[in-house]
Amino acid sequence: MSYLSISNVSKVFGGVVAVEDFNLEVEKGEFISFLGPSGCGKTTTLRMVAGFELPTSGEVLLDDENITYKSPNERNVGMVFQSYALFPNMTVAQNIGFGLQVRKAPADEIKRTVDEMLGLIHLEKHAEKYPYQLSGGQQQRVALARALAIHPRVLLLDEPLSALDAKIRVELRQEIRRIQQKMGITTIYVTHDQEEALSLSDRIVVMSQGRMEQVGAPSEIYNHPTTEFVASFVGQLNLLPVREVDLQNGTCKLNGQLVRFDHSEPRQISDKPRLAIRPEEFQFGQAGDRNVVLGRVEVVMFLGAVVRLRVRIGEALVSVDLFNERNMALPRVGDDVTVNFPAHACWIM
Amino acid sequence: MVEAMRRNTFWSWFWMAVGVLYFILPLVATFIFSLRAKKGVLSFLAYERIFQDANFWETFTFSLTVGFVTILVSLVLVVPTAYWIRLRLPHLRGMIEFVTMMPFVIPAIVLVFGLIRVFSGAPFFLTNTFVGTNALLVAAYAVLALPYMFRSVDAGLGAIDVRSLTEAAQSLGAGWPTILFRVIFPNLRVAILSGAFLTLATVIGEFTIASFLVGIKAFGPYMSLIGQNKTYEASSLTIISFLLTWAFMGLIQLFNRGKSDGTLAGAH
Amino acid sequence: MSSKPNLQHVNTKRDAPQARPALSAWRDWLGVAPFLLFAVLFILLPSLSLFAGSFQDSKGNFTLQNFVDLMDPSILGAYWVTIRISLVTALGGGLLGFMMAYGVTVGGLPRWVRSALSTFSGVASNFAGVPLAFAFITTLGRTGMITVLLKYIGLDLYDKGFSLYSFWGLSLTYMYFQFPLMVLTITPALDGLRREWREAAENLGATPAEYWLKVALPILTPSILGTMILLFGNAFGAYATALSLTGGFINLITILIGSQIKGDVLHNVGLGYALAFGMVVVMAVMMTIYYFLRRRSERWLKQ
Repeated sequence: MSYLSISNVSKVFGGVVAVEDFNLEVEKGEFISFLGPSGCGKTTTLRMVAGFELPTSGEVLLDDENITYKSPNERNVGMVFQSYALFPNMTVAQNIGFGLQVRKAPADEIKRTVDEMLGLIHLEKHAEKYPYQLSGGQQQRVALARALAIHPRVLLLDEPLSALDAKIRVELRQEIRRIQQKMGITTIYVTHDQEEALSLSDRIVVMSQGRMEQVGAPSEIYNHPTTEFVASFVGQLNLLPVREVDLQNGTCKLNGQLVRFDHSEPRQISDKPRLAIRPEEFQFGQAGDRNVVLGRVEVVMFLGAVVRLRVRIGEALVSVDLFNERNMALPRVGDDVTVNFPAHACWIM
Repeated sequence: MVEAMRRNTFWSWFWMAVGVLYFILPLVATFIFSLRAKKGVLSFLAYERIFQDANFWETFTFSLTVGFVTILVSLVLVVPTAYWIRLRLPHLRGMIEFVTMMPFVIPAIVLVFGLIRVFSGAPFFLTNTFVGTNALLVAAYAVLALPYMFRSVDAGLGAIDVRSLTEAAQSLGAGWPTILFRVIFPNLRVAILSGAFLTLATVIGEFTIASFLVGIKAFGPYMSLIGQNKTYEASSLTIISFLLTWAFMGLIQLFNRGKSDGTLAGAH
Repeated sequence: MSSKPNLQHVNTKRDAPQARPALSAWRDWLGVAPFLLFAVLFILLPSLSLFAGSFQDSKGNFTLQNFVDLMDPSILGAYWVTIRISLVTALGGGLLGFMMAYGVTVGGLPRWVRSALSTFSGVASNFAGVPLAFAFITTLGRTGMITVLLKYIGLDLYDKGFSLYSFWGLSLTYMYFQFPLMVLTITPALDGLRREWREAAENLGATPAEYWLKVALPILTPSILGTMILLFGNAFGAYATALSLTGGFINLITILIGSQIKGDVLHNVGLGYALAFGMVVVMAVMMTIYYFLRRRSERWLKQ
């Protein structure tokens, strides 16, 4: 039996299905991300674990205890909100100590825990400040400390970084992972940012329209997406129309040129088969045993570490990412180019 | 939890009912009473008598006129000032806002006391002439209207980013008249109308200042006089005055539709 | 260090190439001159005049006697009654108004109730003075509808010691415009209570009661107190309602000032000014407290 078990959970809001048949087993200490676009049901699922929403059907078990209908204040799970939700009338220390205070913990224990938490988030000097005197990043760290102070059985984070600046976002992301690993706390992290999910998680649950699309480790999700939604939502994906698909031998025709693809995993093929390939798999020039196709450069975007080209191959416009090198000669718009990519990097959808 | 919710709603409904009764009972009582001017039957006789009273129309017209002039004066005072401090003197905002809040500190009775002391004697002698007295009345009302006029207009300006609009108009080659009349004012229409009707609602039945400056020429003192002599007519006047207030507030709500509840405040 | 002023200099030049800073500052002030002139003439001058008058005796000499005379029991009594009625109606109206606003914001009443309440509050908070007094006389006066109805079912209000023309009768009348004003001003504050605060409190183990006591009410306190101060001032300065209802029978400061303006009933002009000045002082203290409370709640509720 796993530590947290969400089985057959569905949620219907006035006739609209928000979450459908959600199943997940989470091990103790695991860091799980729910990843998906807004409205995919990831936050609703999280709120059912927190107890703010009751499932229409299914159940939630935590540490062998059925908590499906338990009220939120009796669950002992910590939650961090997107908008921080710090109590504006309390200082940082009072915010962090709130959970212990309502648990009627002795004053010295509250103080000890608050000090420990302040140390954990490096805000010792701000203990007596009010939330409005802190930056967004600091406020969210206090919110994290407040949720951790009650020693929750599970830590829930609802898009905790999406209100912050890009730079602070990355910083705080590492901070969250560090604290999570240090405390070994089971964590569910809701986000629409694939980079966050990929970089933080032990496992990712990709969701779309209330359904689970795929569950797996970050590399598995990225490299072996099982559905078109996952493939295109996580990372960039080119989908090129192809003809004469031969699943047995793993070959097809792309703009009249023969291309081999990975046919090790069994796949359904739609009536309009397309070849899927990530932009970073391309290289320029001829190369022995790789697929080689001809195209014409239409757009050149210099993005810093990466140079993104849009190359026309027949009727398809393909994104090609190259790593920047200092003395690289960039192709120009209108150049005819030869691109190659390995057979194991592409598949038919 | 579900049970707790139900109990909550019960108390919410309970307090709502108390408030609604508080609001409605005096009106119902007054309305019924106003229909009983003729012995034994219900009739609109009291209303007929009021509408046939020349003094009613005279005082009402007087107060309405004073109301309109007050609106004009306060608009001329408030709109350019509010615009200008947003555009050029943002650091003066606090001070101007403080000044507009003064009617909350100086009750109407104190204001009129001070105005009489200053302006009835040398060198102004305003209360000696018809024009002077009425001008003083308008000035006093403009002071009373400052808080809502300013707040309303300032909120309207805040909603449209005056600085960028002005700069955009300037960069497109517009001069000051064009900027003010074709860019800024049209965007303030709702704010101005709300402030104006709130002013009108306060000024028309205003008693304190009117009774000391112009006496029964104004509608407020006229109502007071009727109240001392004719009870049925007084209640019909109460209903009329209530309907007027309702109409003004209804108009404000109409303009503010789609926005938040609007900022209303009273001073009595 | 030295490069900084330089930089600023360049910036000012670029921003306003057409005018020298000094000249443009002078012109900027001209834009608010009419307003300031009006304020000086019709707010500052009358206030200063009352202020000065309260330090003069009937011959115009400087004196502090007027403030000594304020200690007269009848005048202190008038202040006390005025303050008491303002407190009572601010508290009573505040409580009822808060309960109603609570009902439509977090209390779970349907939306249409809310829009109806906001319309009616706008009307009722502006319905005051002479007509309000009439309405209450026809309702709770000696022959008012409710009085008669209650007598019919065996409860004689006036026998039981109630009178509309007394302290409590006047309070009841004032509350008619007090509680709607509370509704109007406290509703936005209740709207400002974010759902996440409640959820965060619950999540940390707080019961609904603990949430209200430790989070919601403390957050609302500045707004509630601030609004009550507004209500206090609203009643404190009221004159028309009290005069029409009691015919000047009740001893309020505003009534006293009114009679003084009409005919120097105090037989001392300076004392009248001191009386008025005293009102302004009470209100100024109240508004200062209001200002600080509002600043605090704005700081808490921003973002």
